[in-house]
Amino acid sequence: MFIGAIGCEPLQLRRVHLEHSRSLDVYRRNGGYEALKQVLDGMTPDAVINEVKKSALRGRGGAGFPTGMKWSFVPKDSPKARYVVCNADESEPGTFKDRYLMERDPHMLIEGMLIAAYALGARVNYIYTRGEYRYLINIMDEALDEARKANLLGEKILGTNFSCEIYTHTGAGAYICGEETALLSSLEGMRGHPRMKPPFPAVSGLYACPTVVNNVETLTAVPDIIKMGGEAYQKLGTEKSGGTKLWSVSGHVKRPGVYELPMGYDDMEKFIMEDCQGIAGGRQLKAVIPGGSSVYIMPASDILGKDVRMDYEGLVVAGSMVGSGGFMVMDGTVDVFETTKNLTEFYKHESCGWCTPCREGTDWLVKVFKRIADGEGRPEDAQLLLDICDNIEGKSFCPLGDAASWPIQSAIKKFPEDFKRHLLPLVAGAKEDAALSMV
Amino acid sequence: MADLIKVTINGNVYETEKGARLIDVCREHGHAVPSFCYYSDLALQASCRMCLVRIEKMPKLQTSCTITCTDGMIVTTESEEIEKAQRAMVEFLLANHPLDCPVCDRGGECELQEMVFDWGGLEERFSERKNYAPEKFLSPMVANDPQRCILCKRCTRVCDEWMGEDAIEAGGRGAHTVIGTYDGWLNCSECGNCIEVCPTGTLLDATYRHQARPWELAQTITTCTFCSDGCQLSLGARVGEVMRAVARDRYVDGINGEFLCIKGRFAHPFINHEERIRTPLIRYKQGGRLVPATWDDAIGYTAARMRAIGEAHGADAFGIIGSPRLTNEANYALLKFAREVIGTENFTASDAFSLAPCFENLSAPLATHRDIRFAKTIILVGGEPEELQPLTGKQIRQAVRNGGARLVIFNSVPIRLKEQAAQFIHINPGTEDAVVLALAGANDDELAAGKLGVEAKTLADVRRALDETQGDCVLLFGSELSAAAMATLAQLPQLLGAREGRRFLLHPLPFYNNSVGAHDIGLMNAKLSVAQLLDQAGQGLRALYIAGSLLPEHLRGREETLRQLDLIVVQELFETETTALADVVFPAASFAETDGTFTNNAGQVQRVRQSIPPVHQARPDWMITAALASALNADFGFQLSASAVFREIAEHIAAYEGLRYPLLKDESRPVQAKHALAGARDMTGAIQEIRARIQSMNVTSARPTETPKVGHELFKPGTLTSKTPQFPLLYAGNPKPPTVLVSPLYQITVDANLRATTVAAGD
Repeated sequence: MFIGAIGCEPLQLRRVHLEHSRSLDVYRRNGGYEALKQVLDGMTPDAVINEVKKSALRGRGGAGFPTGMKWSFVPKDSPKARYVVCNADESEPGTFKDRYLMERDPHMLIEGMLIAAYALGARVNYIYTRGEYRYLINIMDEALDEARKANLLGEKILGTNFSCEIYTHTGAGAYICGEETALLSSLEGMRGHPRMKPPFPAVSGLYACPTVVNNVETLTAVPDIIKMGGEAYQKLGTEKSGGTKLWSVSGHVKRPGVYELPMGYDDMEKFIMEDCQGIAGGRQLKAVIPGGSSVYIMPASDILGKDVRMDYEGLVVAGSMVGSGGFMVMDGTVDVFETTKNLTEFYKHESCGWCTPCREGTDWLVKVFKRIADGEGRPEDAQLLLDICDNIEGKSFCPLGDAASWPIQSAIKKFPEDFKRHLLPLVAGAKEDAALSMV
Repeated sequence: MADLIKVTINGNVYETEKGARLIDVCREHGHAVPSFCYYSDLALQASCRMCLVRIEKMPKLQTSCTITCTDGMIVTTESEEIEKAQRAMVEFLLANHPLDCPVCDRGGECELQEMVFDWGGLEERFSERKNYAPEKFLSPMVANDPQRCILCKRCTRVCDEWMGEDAIEAGGRGAHTVIGTYDGWLNCSECGNCIEVCPTGTLLDATYRHQARPWELAQTITTCTFCSDGCQLSLGARVGEVMRAVARDRYVDGINGEFLCIKGRFAHPFINHEERIRTPLIRYKQGGRLVPATWDDAIGYTAARMRAIGEAHGADAFGIIGSPRLTNEANYALLKFAREVIGTENFTASDAFSLAPCFENLSAPLATHRDIRFAKTIILVGGEPEELQPLTGKQIRQAVRNGGARLVIFNSVPIRLKEQAAQFIHINPGTEDAVVLALAGANDDELAAGKLGVEAKTLADVRRALDETQGDCVLLFGSELSAAAMATLAQLPQLLGAREGRRFLLHPLPFYNNSVGAHDIGLMNAKLSVAQLLDQAGQGLRALYIAGSLLPEHLRGREETLRQLDLIVVQELFETETTALADVVFPAASFAETDGTFTNNAGQVQRVRQSIPPVHQARPDWMITAALASALNADFGFQLSASAVFREIAEHIAAYEGLRYPLLKDESRPVQAKHALAGARDMTGAIQEIRARIQSMNVTSARPTETPKVGHELFKPGTLTSKTPQFPLLYAGNPKPPTVLVSPLYQITVDANLRATTVAAGD
């Protein structure tokens, strides 16, 4: 497994290979907490937010919302407490970058959060980790203790007037709690249901106070932005999305791993075939899901020879999305019908049950997939699946419904053969056209 | 008046208030937007996704329940795209729904059914196996069929927001989400409001389960007979039998909306109970049995005995006792009987809590329940509305939770409502009068604080809150106050003076459904309490004519003297300790079998309507009194018409002047009696009296520290409520049965002794 940077100097992954990389000592010896010092040494909160704005850093959790803008939404004159919450729920299938950051370089997250807390005036902050990452809590807690002992956390940090505390908290293993408002509900001790927006968390989040929820990778980018300056950071990437991005590469490549690429990396084919050393076993590339399970699946024909640029805009042009950077590569042995069925079962299991379309729709989708897999498919099933997806998409309370629909819609569209195979032989005498009237 | 803005809906431009909710505006103007989870009085949910509309410049369809109108907003509520989405939602909701309407109690009045008529498909595309969950009981009162649930969560929201109990919540997730309880059994006040607001047959009235279909029932809107709040409810009757009580707003639109408490909703089985007295009964000789008789015989017998006693001992040998549970018509007939037929002032009503001092000094209007809901400051002295006047309790809770009202509670018991209080002031038992003294002015703070067992600063804080209130300020008080204190509290608005932007309202908390009416009619004799009247027994009092039964506190210890009386005539529904002393018992009609009016604690005169003909040979109380009068050669002239009785009330009682039944027809617009407002009175005497009373008071600082259990009053099985078999079960602690699949009634038998003692403890 490869962990490292391609096409740029390692930024986020700078220290992960060092011995005792998670210790404060190693972190400090390698440039750690310098950004914090710099901030506390005379940057105003607004100046920090400005740098982040200039950096064109976009949220790494999946939505890609400009971080600086998110921070500036926090009302300056609110008398309420403010919170910075780190979303370490990393539960998007195919994504495993945050765990490496936290496991191997926890202080980078702490420093990022401290700077964010300073910029936003937050006194108390939380790291919300998914239930399955319980072991990470110990690592984070140790790092927080170290920081506390070194006066990097707690009262009057580094002798300044800035006081700040960070606590860890685990979820109970629900995918929906990665959605920022559901995360806040869960953090408050309630059922992990998403909340209505507006009000957005920046105005009314945790305990109805202004809150910024950022992904681990977003927050860990902050110290470097401060150190090198927003502009320099932005220049690492593209105009609209600055810096580097971590890609969690899994599937049928010879060298899976966590890859740090500059935003706008050219191109996806080169990335798969050269950087990831190509498809294992000498087989053919069939499909890629580039951004975690909630994005459109891309067939090889949309990648090979197409110069797909790996950033937000490039992937949209190519018919998919960056999402969380969960890069899943599939070779010719994969039956996309089965893949889609598997993903749909995941979404059904994780649907929180709040709204009608997602709750009932995903349940229905899974039942249809199972029936088809059991050999009881009907010619009209593909059309039915698409229609159910259409009825979920855009109508659900939170984006989970959309996320459940997109893989199915793109899979049926891009891989009709795989669906045909399951539907056709079973319907004696059915014409091919009838079975796939949908495609 | 808020700013007006313009909103375009389906091409029509409407003016509306800034901040109005889009779904409300659409509906107001006749653009039908379907929804399940939206409920105007509850927190937003936005989960059913039925109310989707298209708003220009917004990327996706929007739920109109969550959208606040902005100026220039352009909205489409009907289009192919929207209809497809709405039909899709209904299709989704029906996917795992069992479609067992023919055996569902809600079939025929189900919101899902109605929605399917409008938005359902002709063809069912869902051909998979449906998820299964067994039917079960959540409590003796609430049956549950989770499969029918559409997860609109109105139930969990009313439980939390209205009742403050949060006893039910969703469990599980995704398509396996079910509404359930925290420990598998519902331990709450069993108000059943979750059943009421349920749009489907998921939560069901366990007393009515599988008893009738809604279309077989004749629904009659009437006033509840159980407490002074006077909730409007609809009795569903089938061939002379009351099957259920609901407040569902398609049937009733009263002061309580869809709210009812356990008694209003579930305590109706007494109406057709087999123990109802069937015929008049006469005890021909002392120590004998009560023997059934015809009406003619019983009336004739009673009239003859009365005539004989009157001739031998004079008019004041009679005592007439009405009841705060009877209609105004019944009490008025009794009063008329006492004055005009017998010619005595020896009458009263069997209540220990007289509101006379309050009404005589009333210097501010009575607060309606709507006023309480929107009040800014609420002061509650004594009382326990969440158990004794549950609608008032709910309104207070919502005023605080939804309206941000400031609630101050003075009580010697940490009642449940204290959860909502900005200030709960735990006072020494019996010192409620001192609160009034402190509210009236700062002069006696030291004395008051000392006796109350609180700091003087606390009292100053409360006065400041009263001082600073912008908006309505409601003063509620229970039965703990002395006459002087009640009078002073009624004058408090005058004592504190008028100020722009502040309005004082009073709200007494009497116990019975017609306590206020009994006072208004004049039957609550200020000069003669029940105890005083009964104490005349053996000293001139020879005969008693009682409508209803005496309270246990009045009866205890007096049985022997009462037995010595020449004649006791009782009108009752059931045989009670009072009928055990009676020489003649007339079977009276219950509130469900009679026409009339009740006056609630907000002074609203509300109609009681006949839902079924009187059971067996029962007759309405006022009719019995009129028949007795006829037999004594006095024609009341009521012509068998309750409205005639009421007209006479309106002609004689100033507060009811001009009222007629047709004016009281619309339960959604209740009419407040015009209680005369007294101007500023000199309260020095009353305050001096309170001061003296407090000074001489021996107070104990032993205050109960435990919050009373939910239902300690509500579940108490009284003469009427014990006829619902579930009540004794609840009073016995609502034990969880071995299985929740079978009604607890068939699994748990409450100890007979317990039943007897609890019944005795009730009314």
